[in-house]
Amino acid sequence: MEILSYLLNGFTVALKPMNLMWVTIGGVLGTIVGMLPGLGPATGVAVLLPLTFTMGPEASLITMAGIYYGAMFGGSRSSILINTPGDGAAIAATFDGYPMAQNGRAEAALAMSAIASFIGGILAAIVMVFVAQPVAKFALKFGPAEYFMLMVFALSATASMAKGNLTRGFISMVLGLMIATVGIDAQSGLERFTFGILELQTGIDFLVVIIAVYALGEVFKAFKMIKEGKKKMQTKFGKIWITKEDWKRSKWPILRSAPLGFFIGALPGAGGTMASLIAYNNEKQLSEHSDEFGKGAIEGLAAPESANNAASVGALIPMLTLGIPGSGTTAVMMGALLMLGLQPGPMLFQQHPNLAWGLIASMFIGNMILAIVNIPLAGVLVRVLSIPPKILYPIILGLAFVGTYAISNSIVDFYLLVIFGVMGYFMSKTKIPTAPLILAVIVGNSMEQSFRQALTISNGSYGIFFKSTISIILFILTIVSIMYPFVRDKIKKKKSVAGLNN
Amino acid sequence: MNLSALAGIFAFVIGAIYTIQAFMLPNASIGNPMAPKVLPIGLGILMTFFGLILTFQEVRKNGLKSKDKTDQKEKDDNVKKIVFTCGAAIIYALLFNRIGYILSTIVFLEIVLTLFNGKKKWKTNTAVSICFSVFIYIVFSKFLGVILPKIPFIYI
Repeated sequence: MEILSYLLNGFTVALKPMNLMWVTIGGVLGTIVGMLPGLGPATGVAVLLPLTFTMGPEASLITMAGIYYGAMFGGSRSSILINTPGDGAAIAATFDGYPMAQNGRAEAALAMSAIASFIGGILAAIVMVFVAQPVAKFALKFGPAEYFMLMVFALSATASMAKGNLTRGFISMVLGLMIATVGIDAQSGLERFTFGILELQTGIDFLVVIIAVYALGEVFKAFKMIKEGKKKMQTKFGKIWITKEDWKRSKWPILRSAPLGFFIGALPGAGGTMASLIAYNNEKQLSEHSDEFGKGAIEGLAAPESANNAASVGALIPMLTLGIPGSGTTAVMMGALLMLGLQPGPMLFQQHPNLAWGLIASMFIGNMILAIVNIPLAGVLVRVLSIPPKILYPIILGLAFVGTYAISNSIVDFYLLVIFGVMGYFMSKTKIPTAPLILAVIVGNSMEQSFRQALTISNGSYGIFFKSTISIILFILTIVSIMYPFVRDKIKKKKSVAGLNN
Repeated sequence: MNLSALAGIFAFVIGAIYTIQAFMLPNASIGNPMAPKVLPIGLGILMTFFGLILTFQEVRKNGLKSKDKTDQKEKDDNVKKIVFTCGAAIIYALLFNRIGYILSTIVFLEIVLTLFNGKKKWKTNTAVSICFSVFIYIVFSKFLGVILPKIPFIYI
């Protein structure tokens, strides 16, 4: 019952008129950014971050959450209408969403994607209510050694689960940790890797790295896409709603995919993309209409949409309760919280229950508002897709620069923005994933601090990292996460060999 | 040139330089003198190691030649645009404090929009840059309380 009273408290926070307004504004803006090809929730939160600078922590977090869900809702709009996913998690929505639009069922596809997203989001929020507090309580038992091992696990899992191969994931991760070591060392006061540049003494702000990689890097990548020209899009819509038959077919896929998505989202490194693809394949195997998949089967759209929104809620669990973000977007949100002087983690639930529970309550409200915004207003919102990207992308650049200036009031960060933006572009060119880098930049400092605190406690003996059961379990999980890609490849090979023999 | 192999070599070089730099860091005057160095040295070694692995993997798989099939001309065009955008950003940084937010942003956006949207549409480009700069300036300085550099002499 304790949980319900916390939740009720959360609702009083989330239902404050100002907060309601912010979650709506955040949701609409997020939907718009999410719709733009290539720009997903991480970019949305990164670019719109400056909006939240002067709000209080509550309003800021709630707005960011609104942007986050909005971008998840919006990502699939462009998948359905122009066959271009707004971000990775919306790829699965192109499989059946676009064929549906081509068959003249764009209205049903838009409505179903919003309905499935809504149900997925709400179910996941309900699970969140019951899971968050116990996890946070458990995490209070962690000492520096356990924390260090947890971060090692989160980073290695992200590196090995990310697209591309293990080596690339680890290069990205180590690079991120290296960036985090720049600046004055908090424990000894020594300058490290500042190359005599005064502005680097305070370190490289992770928000600058994030904005650079997610805004500049993505715009650089978009140069190629812009040349391909605009795709024709339906702009006139009938009533955006679904039929009874559609609902009957999609009901179970939606309900099944939500818990799956939540679980996958909560794992470090596995985000909405993986959740939605797994949900799609799942339903394809379970469905009686599996031959229709890929040709406009509505459940093939409903399932991944439900899973990906549930995953976006699940991804908040490790960030809020452990202080370890499991995805690029939650990393950005954590960066913003740190900037506000709040340390996400188990203590957040004790010291700032209003904030933590306000956010959880805002998940319910945000999802509801977004469903309202996205169904009747879908026809209006998608007009954004008809604004030429040639104009939108320069505006994103403009926002990235002003956002960076707002963070630090220093133009040195403009140069860093360019350097890391180019770096992000080359990373994607050479298929090096950027998510491990972002996570590493964010947790890098606290990881090193935990490492050294643990060693101070043990008088320099490395045995402390393998002393408690928790650390040993985390160590085993780390090994498993590193081995996983090898095992996966072996199984794939075996399968394909078996396939050839048949 | 195989870009991924190049990335591997690059990672190796960064790792090597970083490791050497890490060893050269001064000792801490309090506590364990090596404490601030341990993690960086480890990171540097890991980076050199993974850089080497990536290079070998790529060379063995694809050789040194690039397998990218995109048109060379188009590629050059993209690279040119990225270089120009970065150039515009540097100009932006140089002008920012000198001529104020609004003017410098107009200059920056005008360059970038010309790059994206073409010279012919200069009217749209100019309109967008001016509207964006003024709008953002008002939102940030009036509503969000972020102080942006003003235009000299007229102080807007």
